[in-house]
Amino acid sequence: MKVLVAVKRVIDYNVKVRVKPDNTGVDLANVKMAMNPFCEIAVEEAVRLKEKGIASEIVAVTIGPKVSQEQLRTALALGADRAIQVETDDEVQSLDAAKMLKAVVDKEEPNLVIMGKQSIDTDNNQTGQMLAQLAGMPQGTFASEVEVEGEKVKVTREIDGGLLTVSLNLPAVVTTDLRLNEPRYASLPNIMKAKKKPLETVSPADLGVEAAPRLKTLKVEEPQPRQPGIKVESVEELVDKLKNEAKVI
Amino acid sequence: MPKDAIGYALSALNNIARSDILDRLHLRTTAENLSYHLTRSGFRAISTSSRAFKAANPLKKPQRLHAPGQTTDYFDLNITDEQRMIRDSVRDFATEVLREEAETADAEQRTSDTVMSQAAELGLNLFAVPEALEGAATERSPVTSMLVAEDLAYGDMGQALSILAPMSVANALTHWGSAQQQSTYLNTFAGENPPRAAIALCEPRPLFDPMNLTTTARREGDNYILEGEKSLVPLAEDAELFLVAACTADGPGVFIIERGTPRLYIGSDSPMGLRAASPRSLKLDSVRVSAANRLGDRDFDYRAFVDLGTLAWCAMAIGTSQAVMDYVVPYCNERKAFGEPISYRQSVAFMVADMAIELDAMRMLTYRAVSRAEQGRSFQREAHLARTLVKDKAMTIGTNGVQLLGGHGYTHEYPVERWYRDLRAIGVAFGGLHL
Repeated sequence: MKVLVAVKRVIDYNVKVRVKPDNTGVDLANVKMAMNPFCEIAVEEAVRLKEKGIASEIVAVTIGPKVSQEQLRTALALGADRAIQVETDDEVQSLDAAKMLKAVVDKEEPNLVIMGKQSIDTDNNQTGQMLAQLAGMPQGTFASEVEVEGEKVKVTREIDGGLLTVSLNLPAVVTTDLRLNEPRYASLPNIMKAKKKPLETVSPADLGVEAAPRLKTLKVEEPQPRQPGIKVESVEELVDKLKNEAKVI
Repeated sequence: MPKDAIGYALSALNNIARSDILDRLHLRTTAENLSYHLTRSGFRAISTSSRAFKAANPLKKPQRLHAPGQTTDYFDLNITDEQRMIRDSVRDFATEVLREEAETADAEQRTSDTVMSQAAELGLNLFAVPEALEGAATERSPVTSMLVAEDLAYGDMGQALSILAPMSVANALTHWGSAQQQSTYLNTFAGENPPRAAIALCEPRPLFDPMNLTTTARREGDNYILEGEKSLVPLAEDAELFLVAACTADGPGVFIIERGTPRLYIGSDSPMGLRAASPRSLKLDSVRVSAANRLGDRDFDYRAFVDLGTLAWCAMAIGTSQAVMDYVVPYCNERKAFGEPISYRQSVAFMVADMAIELDAMRMLTYRAVSRAEQGRSFQREAHLARTLVKDKAMTIGTNGVQLLGGHGYTHEYPVERWYRDLRAIGVAFGGLHL
């Protein structure tokens, strides 16, 4: 079984993000970039499927500028067999990303697509769903457990108020939630081997997709700093403040 | 020399300045300020009028000099993509696993088996063993080993030492070992359950000099008889293999000694820092070793063996110093005293700035020495410069870390006291590791 894993290059989750002074976006100059944490979980899940003998080949794909090859190399070091880079310097929004991934899916014909439920930069949570729709595949989003049984995949989803288990016909799209697994550290020998694994570069035009942003970012602002708390002298005062100031009771 | 306009003006000003009329009229300060400004603006007027600048060849765009097409490896401190990935992986392991375990490991004076096996999964040992022996190393890479040492020690120096000690033995065997020694010992390091092993170099005496060992190895037929005492041997309690340095009739040599060899004793002294690696002393009371277990052939370079170890210590000290830095900077910006962050106090700000400068200097000297070693150039001088700076400044950074946290620094609740204890080791450690 062939598994396609989509990964995205984003600002490292440890970095404190700075907004550009002109409010057009966030400052990316000299900022540490890394693989989106949800994508790491997706790669890990694919590698575990391979270790269980279910998956036979893992193909990692990313869309982005040339430097995003770094994230593909990381995916290869974690256990992917080969990688495809859709190279573009343009802004790629969810729908365009889904269209490009659809073109890759048509070409590669994977039995399972695993990707993060969202990227921590734009937090859209759209690409997986859009890809499923475009490719006409069933979707299992926010997966906390994935089990492949023959021609079906059982996905346990984290939803409000509990867990929902769905059974999907393969090929299918699965998007990962945080609790699906804990990604491993890339081992040194695998990092060395990653260099020798094939990495193919294509352009959006090769895939017949032209990136056309439909959304315009008006303004990016820092969140309001949290107001410091206050100390109250008595329960009466607390109740009074909750009632009359905060108006929550 | 005839006087020009400025000359006359100056002498007039001098006369005014010399006269005591000014003092009588209480005008001295005003007059001095006036003469200062007059002389300054006077000079400016002369220099701007002495030459007229004209555009000769109008340029369409400014001419700049670009970086040389080919960089010289000497000062190129960029790491390769592979090294960057290795750093990312090791740094994550260090901060998520080693840092979390540090307090327990320090208290229990042991690096847990779980941590050791996780380190083995990272393939650190494999990286020291050639491919022909089931390892993953294709070329010598002291620089990568140095980066690994630095990043591991960023998490915790004690556990880093536990992980690096066996890796050092593997590196030494790869670098110097005979075919027989490699096939007997080295392949086990590439296996699923790599042995705990350590190099024993330091000796418990004042002004220890690794070139002048008091531990002796006397040749007796096909054997050597080793006599002496070693200190600060990591993992001594459970190491299965030791590389012991001793003085022989033909200069210093290193001997492979297996655990369980008769008349080899382990001390119970426990040091102030690095407790997770449980360094202990090792006593050799006429220990008999086969001559085949002497490391290396004629090409054995004891000096390089010592220096590569010293540089590994430098790398670890840099990693832990960086941990101190990364801890104190946000602390000083957030901790408020007298109504403002303590970093607003110059004594605090200057101390932090000095630490940052010294840390970078330590790093530059060490990187330079190791990169020369990797290129096969002489690096003895550079290694010694690095060690001399690091042993001084890393200890200062450790002390300052505790100082900057004030009363908190002296408690177990904050990691700086452990980093202080660990960093003190750099003053006594000499060699005993291998990049």
